[in-house]
Formats: sequence, C-alpha cells, structure tokens
Amino acid sequence: MSEMTSPLGRVVATERRPNTPHEFHFWTALDCPVGIGTIVRVEGTHPVEGKLPQVYGIVVEGFGYTDLQSPLHDVLGHDGSPESASLAPTERAEIRLYTAAVLRQIPEEPLQPVPIGRVFLATDDDVAVALRMDGYLKEGARTGIPIGIYRAGGTDAPIYLDADFLLGPEAAHLNITGVSGLATKTSAVEWLLQSIFTHFPERKGTIAAVCFNVKGPDLCFLDQPGELEASDRAIYEKLGVPAKPFDRVEYFAPYDSDGITIKTLRSHDALAHNVHPLTWGLREVLQYAEVLLNKDDVDAKADALIDFIRERVVDQDFTDPLLSRPHRVQSFADLEQWFRDVLRGVEAKNQESWRTHHVATIRKVRNRLSNISTRCAGLVTDDGAVSDLPFGTFEDRTVYVIDVAGSEEDAQDLIFARVVTKLRELLEKRQLGVDHVIVFVDELNKYAPNDGQDTYVRKMLLDISERGRYLGLVLFGAQQFRSQVHRRVVGNAGSALYGRMDGDELATPGYAVLSPATRTKLATLEKGQLMVRHPHFTQPVFVRFPRPAVMRGRDGAERFPQAQGVPFDQAILRSLRVLDPAITLQWVQDVAGIHEEHEVVRARNATIRARPGNVREFFRNALPKRAPSVAVPPRQPAPALRLTPFDDPYGDGQ
Amino acid sequence: MFAAFLDGVQQSRILDYANGAPIVHATVAAVIRERRERRLHTWKHQVENRIYAPRRHVPPDVWARLAHLDPADSSLPDDDERLTTRHPLGALERAVDLAQRHREALEQRLAQDWCERESRPLLVDGGISGSERVARAPCAIGVVKSHRTLYAVDEQIEVVLRLARGERTSVFLIEPPRRTPVASWYLRLREPAGRDPMFALVRVEVARDPVQDIGARADEVSRWLLAETAPLALPDARWDRMVYGVRDSEEFLRAIT
Repeated sequence: MSEMTSPLGRVVATERRPNTPHEFHFWTALDCPVGIGTIVRVEGTHPVEGKLPQVYGIVVEGFGYTDLQSPLHDVLGHDGSPESASLAPTERAEIRLYTAAVLRQIPEEPLQPVPIGRVFLATDDDVAVALRMDGYLKEGARTGIPIGIYRAGGTDAPIYLDADFLLGPEAAHLNITGVSGLATKTSAVEWLLQSIFTHFPERKGTIAAVCFNVKGPDLCFLDQPGELEASDRAIYEKLGVPAKPFDRVEYFAPYDSDGITIKTLRSHDALAHNVHPLTWGLREVLQYAEVLLNKDDVDAKADALIDFIRERVVDQDFTDPLLSRPHRVQSFADLEQWFRDVLRGVEAKNQESWRTHHVATIRKVRNRLSNISTRCAGLVTDDGAVSDLPFGTFEDRTVYVIDVAGSEEDAQDLIFARVVTKLRELLEKRQLGVDHVIVFVDELNKYAPNDGQDTYVRKMLLDISERGRYLGLVLFGAQQFRSQVHRRVVGNAGSALYGRMDGDELATPGYAVLSPATRTKLATLEKGQLMVRHPHFTQPVFVRFPRPAVMRGRDGAERFPQAQGVPFDQAILRSLRVLDPAITLQWVQDVAGIHEEHEVVRARNATIRARPGNVREFFRNALPKRAPSVAVPPRQPAPALRLTPFDDPYGDGQ
Repeated sequence: MFAAFLDGVQQSRILDYANGAPIVHATVAAVIRERRERRLHTWKHQVENRIYAPRRHVPPDVWARLAHLDPADSSLPDDDERLTTRHPLGALERAVDLAQRHREALEQRLAQDWCERESRPLLVDGGISGSERVARAPCAIGVVKSHRTLYAVDEQIEVVLRLARGERTSVFLIEPPRRTPVASWYLRLREPAGRDPMFALVRVEVARDPVQDIGARADEVSRWLLAETAPLALPDARWDRMVYGVRDSEEFLRAIT
C-alpha cells in the first residue's frame, strides 16, 4: 500500500522545455513502472484559489540519457571494447524523462501550466477521474460500457465508454482500424457487442446488432463457445461481462446460384437451426435499382421508365391497348413477359415511343433489369419469392448476421443498401422492434472509400454517419487502412479503436496528432491491446480486452466443416429439417420424386417463408398437383378358344 | 574498491560594497556519494551559506544590519598574522579564501562522519592531512589532482614526470606544518604519450601506518584508482585525473547549490 502511495517521479520544467496547460515533463527512477500510455497524477504544492491542484496526464513520450556529451567519450573510455564497459565499477548517471499529455486538471479553472510537484501512478479512482468516467459511472445514471482494462504498474483499472456517446444520441458510431490477422477488428467488435448487450442500460431501450460477414467464416460461429485463458476470464469477471457466446444469433445468407443450398460457411447440419435464406423478389430489388445501376446505365429517361414500372406496373393489373393481354407483374419472369409484350406491340405498330418512353430506352431498361436476376442469382428470385430479415420483429440483444462473404459484389451492395435503408426507415417510424441497431461493416474502405466515384452505398454510409445517431442507427465500421475511408465517415465516428497499425498507414497525416512514441507503440501493439479514442477522453488510452467468448471463425470452420456437394434431395431435406426434424430423406424422395427440381425448390422456399405448423402437409401442397398414379390391375387373360372338333370339315384336319 | 566518493564545491558572489569593502555571500557544499550495485547514491550531503564582510572597513551600522546573518569577519589576520588589505580586491580574495577553508572544513566533517561509521574505502577529492582523524583513518584515501607543489627534487622530478600508465613512484612521507603526516605517492592513470607531463598524474595520500606494508597498500590503492579510469569524467576539463565518482559528486552539488 505504501508503494502505491509513494511518488514515482517529479515534475520538471526548464526554459527550453517548459510545462504548459496541456503537457508536462517528469523524471522517474530507472526501475519505475512507467511507459508510454501510463496514466499519472501530479500533486501541486501551492494552492490555487484555496485548492491544491491535481493534474492527470498520460505519458506520450519518453527520453533516457546519461551525462555523456558525445558517444565518442564512451568509446574512448572503454578503449573501443564494448566488453570492457561491463567491467567499469560505476555506471553513468542516467535519467528517465517522460512527457505527459494532460488528461484533466482539477480545478479546471483557471487553466494553468502544470505545476512542479510529485508524480504518482494513477489508481483505479484516479483513472476514472482522469478520463472523466466519473460523470457516467454514477449510481442510478450509469451509462458505462466496459471496453477493456487499463494496466500499468499494478493498476488494473476498468475503462468504460459512455453509451450516450457510443450509441447516441450525444455522439455515436465506432471506427476500428488495425492490420489484418491480429485478432483486432473482429475480435474487438465481438467483445464489445457482448459488453454492450450486458451493460446497455435498460432505461435506454432495446438494442440489436446487424453484422455483415464480408469475408471467410469470421462471424459464422457467434453462438458457439470459444477458448478462453484464465487471464481472459479474469478480465470478463472484472468488467462484469459473462464469458459466454451470444444467446441469440440469427444468420441470413442468399442461396447459391443454383437456388438450392444457402451460400454460407455455416452450412453444417448441427448449426442449421438458425440459418435462414435471404431472397428478394422484383419489388424489393426495384426499390434499390439504383444500387445496381450506375450512372452510365441510368440517365433521366431510364430513371423515368423505372419509376413508371415501379409505380404503375409492379403488383398491379396492368392493361394497355398496345398489349396483347393484361399483365400482373410480380416477378422478374413476369416483368420479362411484360417487356416482350410492350416491345412486340411497339414494333407491330412501328412506333418509336410508348407512353413517352422511347423504344431504345425501353430496350435498355429491359436489358439492365433482366440482367439483375442473373447478376444477383441466389439473392434475387425470378419468381418473386421473398425471405427477409424479421423487419418489424427485431428482438432485444440479438445479433443478426448477414453472410455475404460468398456473394458477388453487386449482390453485396444490394444487400447492404436494402438492409440498412430498411433499418433506417423502420427506426424512423419506430417499427423495427428495437430502439437501437448497431450495424457492423468490415472492410469499410471498400464500401466508403475516400476516392473513386460516388456510389449509393457510400452515400448511405455517409447518411448513417451523419444522421444515424438521432435514429438509433449506429455504425461500427472496421478497416485496415483508416486513411482510405471517406473522411466524413471516420470523422463522424465518436469513438475509435486502433489495433496494431501498419507503418505506412501511421505515416499518413491523420496520425500526425499522435506523438512519435505513441505511433511506435501502435506499430508494435500486442494481440488484445487497443488504443481507444472517445469523446470523454482528451487523449487516447491504451487498454487490453479479452478474447471474445465465441468460437473463432477458423476454429469453427474446422469443427463444423462446410457441407460439400450435397445432392438435391439431401439439400431439400436439410432445409426442411430445420422446421421439422422428423422429416426423412425417404419422405422427401417419395414426395418430390416426380416433380421438376425448380418446382421442388419453389415449394421448399414457400415452406421456409411460411414456417407452417405442419411442414409435411404444407410442402406437399406447395408442389404442383399431379394426377395420382394408379396401379393398373393385371389384365384377365382371354378365354382360350374352343378346340375345333376332330371331325370338323372346315378344320385344318389336324 | 572504493565504496564512496567525497567532494565539495564553493560558490561566492558579491552582495554589495560598503565603503568600498566587498560584502560576499558564499555557499559551500560537500557530499559523499556511495556506490551501490555500480550506481552512485547520496550517503550524506551538507550545504552551508555564510556572509563575509571586513568588519574593520564597513560602517558599524552596516555590520549591525548584517548581524542577524551571523557574518564572518574577513578582516581578521590570516594564519600568518597578516592583516587584510583595504584594497577591495584584496578583501575579496580574503573572503574567497575563507570560503575555501569553510568548504574544506565541511568536507573534513563529512569524511570524519564516514570514517566513524564505515570501514569501507572512501575516495576523498584532495588531500586528507587537514584533519587528523581522517588522516589517520585507514579507510580514507585522498587523491590530489593539482600539482603546484611537486614532492620531489632534482632527478626525482624526472622519475615522476616519466611515469608511464599504471606506474607509481615509491611511497614517501609528507609532513606539512600544522597538518597530520600522511604517506603519499604519485600515480599515472593514463598513457601520457604526446600529452603534457602532468597528464593523468595524481598524488595519492593514505594514512601512515607503521605496522602496515606501505608498498603493498600503495599497490592495492593504485589498482583501485586505475579501475576507476572508466567511465571517463568528460566533459570535465580535468577528466584525465578525475575519477567518475568525483565528477558525479560535483554534478550532484552543482544541482543542489
């Protein structure tokens, strides 16, 4: 205890290196447990307006030197032999001098240069005061979300983020940067989500997370327990977060291009219970056609025709004197029929335009829209079948993972745009089912780059960044190179986490505010260490966080290998078994055997969407009706002809 | 091996002139820096301040105003019973001389403290004959760096000046007036080739012990001193004769005075 209360250093100031209100210098003993990122407290000795000043600072730079004026003197002193240096009876006087950035001064006014005084290692309470956490850790008004442990010289202080500034409404959004492969970005988000789900105050409402799995099996096993070491469990215990996987996780992924199997690395039978297909029809896609159609595709004329189709054609009985028959367009297949009829009519009458739309525009839009179901096969269905996220019935503390890792880029963009826009719309109307949604997007530099042409997805991310916090829509974005993400996206992230950084990235202007020592530390951070920036922290703070209590993607992929080359009947069985585990392969083969594959797939999709009580009956009814096969009774043999009498004169005589 | 190093410093400045007589403020300090695990730590240090004024030459009211500072009279006769001159520079020299004596006394007090409590070797920067207790203590070793007086005559001088690195003279006895006799020898700490004759030349003083083999003692202490040639005491101008422990003591005193 006495060690904790004894000073570890003393503030110094010289004319060449003076102290300021935001920075000070202090020296310590050589064996002092101070390093870059250590939080210290300075006790002033002269009262200011009756109060002894207390200054809290974080070490941002360190210097060490001896009384040696020139390295040559040391060489001469040891006859050029490094070995003889160890024989010298005395070591030179050596200093450890540190520069600290001020975190907080008490009293806060008048703001003066840091006084000369004794320097102490910050205790848990000091850390809370230094980082202004005391303001949001008050009993009854607690909004702290644990992010990790600050560790220095025997101090193990929990670090909390303010939920009001992490999830809105004061500030919001989180950005995570770090090199790949060091368990920084994904692990940090998994840990933080668990922490948020545990500590987000109930009075603030309900919260859920939508995570886009953009690569490999990263987020595919969030409901499976991971391996934790004792040190990890200690951090979980200290921060009051249960060391267990997420209780409620739902997975969504488009079908493969064959429309039979779901395109995800979480395809093992044992994990199929919460994996759902993600398929959209014409109506859903048309709302976001501009995501898939770039500016070269869609000019004002084409845009007008798309609007016309959206407003006047889809899901309505459409008639026109030009057309051969009434149309009701509900799927891409219907739309294709409609286009054909329109173009046939135009050509038959030798018209150049129809309803102000030029025939060339009609052909162009037909070409682009028809193309979508091919480009996004597996996600977009020709028949208009929809299987979607449970918009409107989102549940509290639930993670919804959308696995787009195996999807084409166009499909990824479409999924991203539609899901986020839908979340935004429903949150605005308070009809989503929860009050707050965290959207986690990895590879943000791909979706919101700071250069290149403006895309719908980037515009949407900017919109979330700038206005999402008022709606409860919070963006947790991650990327390897923060400098390559749009400035307004990262700039609007109230909080930021930094894992180990690449040297080239650290050399970009965005990191110029950090001291050289802090940048060096960032370039050499261990696994499980983060630098945290948060609106309440006047300087970045280094913390340790535990491994997430969920199974790592790589481990999960080994333990639950992906189902490979599943036969058609087997694939149907897997889908239906999620709804009724008693269904057998024999039953599927008996029921579906006489039907075409596309008919079976359609029936399967309808069953999954409906989730009926009696799965077998529903599935059977969803198949097209065929005349029942009836066994033909064996024909009775014709009675034998009577034999010709022996004496018949017309017989052959035999 | 030396366990500690003793050194002292003095600073003086003229506060004012009264009737042309300088009133001098002097600060003297001394320290013993003990070596523990190859690093030097303060064993004990003392700092004292004193005002020097020639009482005979300053007006009585000025002396009265200085009285609460307990000034030392720099107009008293010196050891040779010579009165100080009325010349301001002469009076100033006398004040500085008194401050130097004060510093020596302080160093001796610290050395005595060490010798009373410790038996480990103490390197004293300068001679040790000024204090009888120190001069007779086997733990005190004085190292003299200045050679205004050479304790040699005729061909002995040549022997001293031609000492090579690591060589010493034979031990001789020094019996200064009003001081305690000590055994002494010259030692060359570094290679002098191409340098001035006094380069890296020190004179060592130890207690005279009739029982001890003084030659063996001189060899032992000389080895200790040669071991102290690293690290260098640069950038001090006397680095060739100064051991690092003494420089460290001076730096310490410079920092606190």
